[in-house]
Amino acid sequence: MMQWIRLFVSRMWATLSRTRVDREFEEELSSHLQLLIDEYERQGLSRSDARREAIRRLGQPRFLREQHLDQSSFAAIDSVAQDLRYALRMLRKSPAFTAIATLSLAIGIGANTALFSLVDHLLLRSLPVREPDRLVKVQQAAVGPGLQKRRLEFPPPMVDAIRAETRIVSEVAGFTRLDRPAVTIDGVPEASREVERVSGDFFRSLGVVPILGRAPEESDEGAAVVSFGLWRARFDSRADVIGRRVSVNGESYTIVGVAPRRFFGVSIEHSTDLWISSLAAVPLAIVARLAPGVTAPQAEAALQSVISNAFPPPPNDFPLRMELLPAGRGTSLLREQYERPLLALTALVTVLLLITCTNVGSLLMVRNTARRRELTVRVALGARRTRLISHYLVESLLLAVAGGTLALVFARWGVSTLLATLPLAAAPESLAFEIDGRTLGFTAGVSLLSALLFGLAPAWRATHIDLTALRSIQGSTSTPNTRRLGRVLVASQVALSVVLLVGAGLFLQTLRNLTRSDVGFNPERLMQVSIDTRSAGYGEGQVGAVYRLLLERVGGIPGVASVTGIRNPVMRHSLSRCMMQFASATLASVRMASDEPWQCADVGPSFFETMGIPVLQGRAFTAADFDQDRRFIVVNEAFAKRYFPNQDPIALQIGIIGIVGNTKLAGVRAERAPMTYQQTRREPDRINALEVRAAGDPRAVVDAIRAEVQRVNPRLFLEIRTMRQEIDRDIAKERMVAAASAFFSLLGLLLVSIGIFGVASYTVAQRTTELGIRMALGASRRAVIGASLRDTMLVFGAGLAAGIVAAIAAVRFTASLISDLLFGLTATDVTNLVGAVLVMVAVACAACVLPARRATRIDPLGAIRCE
Amino acid sequence: MPPDKSRIELLQGTLDLLILRTLLFGPSHGHAIAKHIRRLSEEVLQVETGSLYPALHRLEAQGWISSAWEISDKGKRAKYYRLTKTGKKQLVAEQSKWEQLSAAMARVLRPAE
Repeated sequence: MMQWIRLFVSRMWATLSRTRVDREFEEELSSHLQLLIDEYERQGLSRSDARREAIRRLGQPRFLREQHLDQSSFAAIDSVAQDLRYALRMLRKSPAFTAIATLSLAIGIGANTALFSLVDHLLLRSLPVREPDRLVKVQQAAVGPGLQKRRLEFPPPMVDAIRAETRIVSEVAGFTRLDRPAVTIDGVPEASREVERVSGDFFRSLGVVPILGRAPEESDEGAAVVSFGLWRARFDSRADVIGRRVSVNGESYTIVGVAPRRFFGVSIEHSTDLWISSLAAVPLAIVARLAPGVTAPQAEAALQSVISNAFPPPPNDFPLRMELLPAGRGTSLLREQYERPLLALTALVTVLLLITCTNVGSLLMVRNTARRRELTVRVALGARRTRLISHYLVESLLLAVAGGTLALVFARWGVSTLLATLPLAAAPESLAFEIDGRTLGFTAGVSLLSALLFGLAPAWRATHIDLTALRSIQGSTSTPNTRRLGRVLVASQVALSVVLLVGAGLFLQTLRNLTRSDVGFNPERLMQVSIDTRSAGYGEGQVGAVYRLLLERVGGIPGVASVTGIRNPVMRHSLSRCMMQFASATLASVRMASDEPWQCADVGPSFFETMGIPVLQGRAFTAADFDQDRRFIVVNEAFAKRYFPNQDPIALQIGIIGIVGNTKLAGVRAERAPMTYQQTRREPDRINALEVRAAGDPRAVVDAIRAEVQRVNPRLFLEIRTMRQEIDRDIAKERMVAAASAFFSLLGLLLVSIGIFGVASYTVAQRTTELGIRMALGASRRAVIGASLRDTMLVFGAGLAAGIVAAIAAVRFTASLISDLLFGLTATDVTNLVGAVLVMVAVACAACVLPARRATRIDPLGAIRCE
Repeated sequence: MPPDKSRIELLQGTLDLLILRTLLFGPSHGHAIAKHIRRLSEEVLQVETGSLYPALHRLEAQGWISSAWEISDKGKRAKYYRLTKTGKKQLVAEQSKWEQLSAAMARVLRPAE
């Protein structure tokens, strides 16, 4: 060990103080030379002969010096620096190659980085809070078949009861998001700011320490914490923000602190700008920290008994049970929905990266072939193979670093593009791309890996040198081995592209099937106006009058053909569940599957007419039905078929007055399940949406509708969308997956067509003489094209076959992952595979057009003379 | 230089031993070391300059020999190498290793005797 250290120090010293060592060695050599000369002179040689003889004996001083340097310092460091300089020079010398290689690497690495960033932010990353592993989201859910009743926010007494159980949950943070708050700073209204009302102990419980000022106290009357983003954007990052006042919905709050940069609140798909805390008692969502030694199931059971004892549920209601879900990564409604799509896209971009690597690899090979003569000379001069390989790898590494750097730019663009497709009001800053340790580490790792992937094989091939090649004047341009590796690379590009195309095809067809799917009503010229009677302040007994007024006012707008209301907004997956609502006397005569709930909706007057849902039998609700307390039921076809297979349900006189066509009111992917409609009560407790059918262009009446609704009450109006927009939002996920996978496979096709083009033009160029002779002997155009492209077709055919096998295997392998993402076709759809193959063939033909034309335009005489 | 059949190229590692052994008689410079080895081996062992100096520097880096610029008995400046304490130990170790090796080689090459 000591020995080794001494050697290391000495060599290190020599590397660093190179000139000094050099000088000393030269001195030593010249002293040796002088001694030799003296000796020969003593033996009777003349001075000049003695000198010549001495140099002959001693060797060339320069050569000796080189050898000395190699051994006395770290040759590896020197040679890497040398390789680096050399590689830079070579890359500069062929800007076209460098640009194409860097760009395609940037695409491949960038796509992976973008996906990683999204996956990381949405699925992996922990909140920047203390002990995120012990955080749980506390909520309640109803038990019952097919029921989806949840309580996400708890009234203040329940919050206090939970907070009191410190042996179960040591800390509790309460929060609730304000719905479109009116924020003013210095009297200036702020557009679309996200505000959360939080409990006084919110920041302390989470363990989030403001970077400026302090966290609110429980005793604070009207304290506010601003986000880092708002602080920077609106307060110029000034320290005197503390003590300034903001107003939210007319109430004034004093800013006491600034949140850390990466803290956006507990919900990860919202970027909260402002947290306000006051003594006002409002229902709050709860995130709690498990007490030491308590597990989530234990806490769940303990809290359940505490709450059900203190707050016994009202009879005849579905009992709610406590649910504690891990909240360390933040809460998200999107996470569950987007987990699989993101994983599927990750698989696709991995394939894209492989295509990129093989593409750059084959580009490198072509270039190395051109440099073959130079290499042969270097080997002949004694360069070692490892030295040459390291030299190539340095070049690959440089390309990967350049590609990786550019990839960060692409990734930022990619993430913001993908985020824009999310069904959110605004792309949240909390999910945005940022260059931090994780993304940088990922990008660096992927770049390094791809450098090895695309660099090693060509380097190995290129440095396999047969010195006899040096003899031929031209220098052999390639060896059979190099050609074979090049073909394997192009064939694997084709195969990978087929896999990519099959994946993209599945998602594109899913999107097409969804957009073409018949929703059962007519979405054209239809608009949905979301309203909220409850938060506008209407209580029991007040909604009916407002509702009738709204229908009358909106219906009176010129350009509006008809209008209706619904409790369950369309395309929002918000249908109610109904069970056993028929009069018990008639139940016996109806063969009902026990306990099975079905979908139901409360609808307003002329609902079926406005929506364009056909009435198949019986009648729809009339205006008179809405003026009485007796409730009628309209069922859909599926309901009638399921529960009254051989009967006429209307004739049974059990309250069913009509049968209408099946619809997909909940969402485009919903099944045409049994469903019932009831007329809204005379005094409904709430109405959530108006459906408006325009006579002409719906955009023409949007402003008028908004104005009328706001004239009734400005706080009623939420938003207005065309039904097409609602449907688009409902399939936003599928649209994103389809668009992204189509984009990725287009990139893949672009790369593979470059590869095929390369192989085709290379073979044509190589066989120019042969083709020229054939033409001179009278070969037809067709024969010439056939001869020139036979090689390429073979390579392509092999790739295609491998691709088909790989695609089938990949689809089989991932069927369980992707089948949920598909609609209207199965993962193993044959037409999809055929389509992918056809696209691939078309692209290959297009890539071969130019080389084939060049083959037919060979001048026979010139080609023969050329040799 | 044209290869001479009667001369033997030095085995890897043996040069180090020869240098250490030569320096046992006292400090010496590169030229004298090469000459000494040639003379004692009756012109069989030729030490190339290209191997001699790397070997000297390697031994110096390992601390087995040290060097200093001195004036030779003929009045010329030259770099003199001398054996260090650890160098002497190394010489003893190397020499016994070499004797074992050559004895073993001899047994293998002339098993009849």
